Amino acid sequence: MNRSIIGLIILLVVAGLAAGISFLDLSSLTRQVERRDPVEVSIFYGGEKSALLKNPQVAEIIENRYKITLNASKAGSVEMVTTLDSTGRHCLWPSNMVAVELARLSGKPVKSDETIFNSPIVFYAWSDVADALTSAGVVAKRNDGFLTADVQALGKLIEDGARWKEDLGLNIYGPFKVFSTHPAKSNSGNIWSGLLATVLNGGDVPTEESLPTLLPRIEDYFAAMGHMEASSGDIFENFLKQGMGARPIIVGYENQLVEFLNENANFADLIKSKIRVIYPEPTVFASHPLISLSPVCDRLKEALIDPDLQAIAWAQHGFRTGLIGVENDPSEIKAAALPDTVSLVVPMPAAGVMQRVIAAVR
Amino acid sequence: MKRLIPIVAVALLAIAVVFGSGIIPQQNGLRGNLHIVSGSENKALEPIIAEWGNENGVDVKVTYKGSVDISRILGEGAEGEFDAVWPANSLWIELGDTQKVVKHRESILRSPVVLGLRRPIAERLGWVGRDDITVQMIQEAASADKFRLSMTSATQSNSGASAYFGFLYALGDNPDVLTLDDLGDEALQDKVRDLLAQVDRSSGSSGWLKDSLVANPRAFDAMFNYEALVIEANQALVASGQDPLYVIYPANGLSVADSPLGYVNKGNAETEEAFLNLQAHLLSDPVQDQLVALGRRAGLIGLAADNADTAVWNPEWGVDLNRAIAPIPTPDAAVIGEALRLYQSELRKPSLTVWVLDVSGSMEGEPLDQLKAAMGLLLDAEAAAVNLLQPSSRDINILLAFNHEHLPPETYKGAEPAALRQALNTVQGLQAGGGTDLYAALWYALEALEPYHADGTLFDYLPAIVAMTDGASDTINRDLLLRTLETNGFGSDVPIHAIAFGAADETQLKELNEATIGRQFSAGSDLAGALRKAKGYN
Repeated sequence: MNRSIIGLIILLVVAGLAAGISFLDLSSLTRQVERRDPVEVSIFYGGEKSALLKNPQVAEIIENRYKITLNASKAGSVEMVTTLDSTGRHCLWPSNMVAVELARLSGKPVKSDETIFNSPIVFYAWSDVADALTSAGVVAKRNDGFLTADVQALGKLIEDGARWKEDLGLNIYGPFKVFSTHPAKSNSGNIWSGLLATVLNGGDVPTEESLPTLLPRIEDYFAAMGHMEASSGDIFENFLKQGMGARPIIVGYENQLVEFLNENANFADLIKSKIRVIYPEPTVFASHPLISLSPVCDRLKEALIDPDLQAIAWAQHGFRTGLIGVENDPSEIKAAALPDTVSLVVPMPAAGVMQRVIAAVR
Repeated sequence: MKRLIPIVAVALLAIAVVFGSGIIPQQNGLRGNLHIVSGSENKALEPIIAEWGNENGVDVKVTYKGSVDISRILGEGAEGEFDAVWPANSLWIELGDTQKVVKHRESILRSPVVLGLRRPIAERLGWVGRDDITVQMIQEAASADKFRLSMTSATQSNSGASAYFGFLYALGDNPDVLTLDDLGDEALQDKVRDLLAQVDRSSGSSGWLKDSLVANPRAFDAMFNYEALVIEANQALVASGQDPLYVIYPANGLSVADSPLGYVNKGNAETEEAFLNLQAHLLSDPVQDQLVALGRRAGLIGLAADNADTAVWNPEWGVDLNRAIAPIPTPDAAVIGEALRLYQSELRKPSLTVWVLDVSGSMEGEPLDQLKAAMGLLLDAEAAAVNLLQPSSRDINILLAFNHEHLPPETYKGAEPAALRQALNTVQGLQAGGGTDLYAALWYALEALEPYHADGTLFDYLPAIVAMTDGASDTINRDLLLRTLETNGFGSDVPIHAIAFGAADETQLKELNEATIGRQFSAGSDLAGALRKAKGYN
């Protein structure tokens, strides 16, 4: 099926939904008033959105404009849709598209889901590392100045057992590897394991059939990592604070740097001189689908797709919109320079495939 | 009841007026207590914390424990007495926090684990200004008696554990990441055992190792410790006219402490707010600059720093802020657990400990029960393993019970459960009665070590005498003991530690500790902890 047909179908579905909603709204004017009655919405959310939810401007929109009292608890993106008891929660807001499928597979009463934000997986590297990878032909500068990494070439470095000192000329211990969080414990590590599986599979998204030859290689890669952090925030902090020797290059979310620089504006020059953001080609989006388990969730969905809230999420937190037909303008972000689009994106492998990848890494 | 409301309102108004008008300093709305358990390497930062506490009206208390103990405490979850943990490395939180009670964790500072070597020795060895000194070279020089080596116990303290993991990597031919297979390699075990055999002085805590070196410069030539504590030691050594230590960053097997401060979530909003405020203060630019001035690596980006004060970051001491630091990778949790077990039961230098047990009349009842419980922790194989106190197959324990007289010393070699049980039975059968002559008992303890001194094997072990006592001793034999310590040829090199019960005479014990670089512990409420420390110090 080609892209234009998918696009057309999506358009029709959206149009249909819009028509349906407006029809319902018109059917009762009193209902409009009722909808603004205060409501309490109880959710689990992935830790990547902690700063966003703490942002007073965001809280203001949710509380005052939409009259929502939000009872939000942080939980792991995989945990919340599988093992965690979600009784009494109206929505789940993980940071991973696979989570929607996993929620259904675990028997959660999924009513609908809506992708609120996207943030591509990127690499953060110390400038010397980016330079060495450029010399090695893995990283290149795009016409618009942003750095990209050819993940096939990167996968080859890993498979060839390239070493930091001997092959890349850097004073770093051991073999070349991209550091990530633990794929079974944290979302960015989980997404990276999915992307790595695609890379090691020759660029094709792996299916159940490709797993027997693929799993041992993924297992070996992560076994050689030793101890891995359990949270994306921790690895980013450790990357910055412990220096190039400890974590030369890590997997993170694009929006992490925006949030960091908004908090620490005085470090902008230092970051600019020492840290490089590298966009993997292809990359994977960390999507933030709002999974509705109850009609109560609808009010929150409405608040989260409010154009003002979406604008704050982009300008201050670097979250790209997940809404179809909306575009983000990089000039609205003061803290960091981001490309206007990230186009080479592959999907995550299916939930069943990811479950087996995670089981192998665990 | 209703009549109370206006009164309360007036009272509140009055309070508001008093605070608002500046009669009483306003305090950011913070209140309450904050009890932090921290590694001893952070002791120099206490004034910063105390000042913050005073300014903000928060009663902050800091208790110092080894990182491994902190990890063990976290295993108890939110039930423990501490509101915050501050070990030397994140690893200990990740291993210990099985119930996920720690949140808001932030690395406050960094410090690599280095070798501090007396500068004249470093010059003689031609090691000054070099960046290629390996763990192997350190091992060779120490085995050739070029210097005496000290480090903390790997199973009690993070700096010791870091150095030990460095040895495993360096002597294991730099594996990509350390695995269980590597640990099972007997050739590697032999090499690490040989290196650990060079350790002349051990300690349960990085801070105390530094303090003892400063207080007794002649007893030490070199220590593995944090760069920050070598800097602190040098400031004290130079002030007292001694040679400073020269910092060697090993070219292999190097690791870096990241000093994370985390909140233990007990659901108390007031404490949490106070914690977050303190943490933000410690991470603020002025305090981070203050930390750099105290020899810590701080700031948000990387380990290097520009414009650091060369009086602190003194190039003459080998300190180099801009040197590239390439730490070893941290192995996964199962490998760490096995490596620590291996250290404790197989690889560390064996200990030779004389346990001098007070059974005088005043020990009757609870003190004696406590003493027996303490010995149970050491001699019961299962209890010992839980606390990483298990004896190795090469350890020697000598039991010597005393009142105004002493029982003949009983020697138990190795870690055979049957032999340990027999020793434990002996202890369980002890009864209290009579007077106290600690000095005579210690004299006999030295005598029990004499055969090892005579055949030259005493320092193949880490020898120590640990006195467990509660009472002021008869002093009739004090002079005899002090004279013997000076003249028997090894007395001042065998630390006498004391675990004090109840109303023990601390001045008497202190005199002995000081004469032998021993240390005093209070049995108090945490007997296992006191024992772990005493044991870690030998």
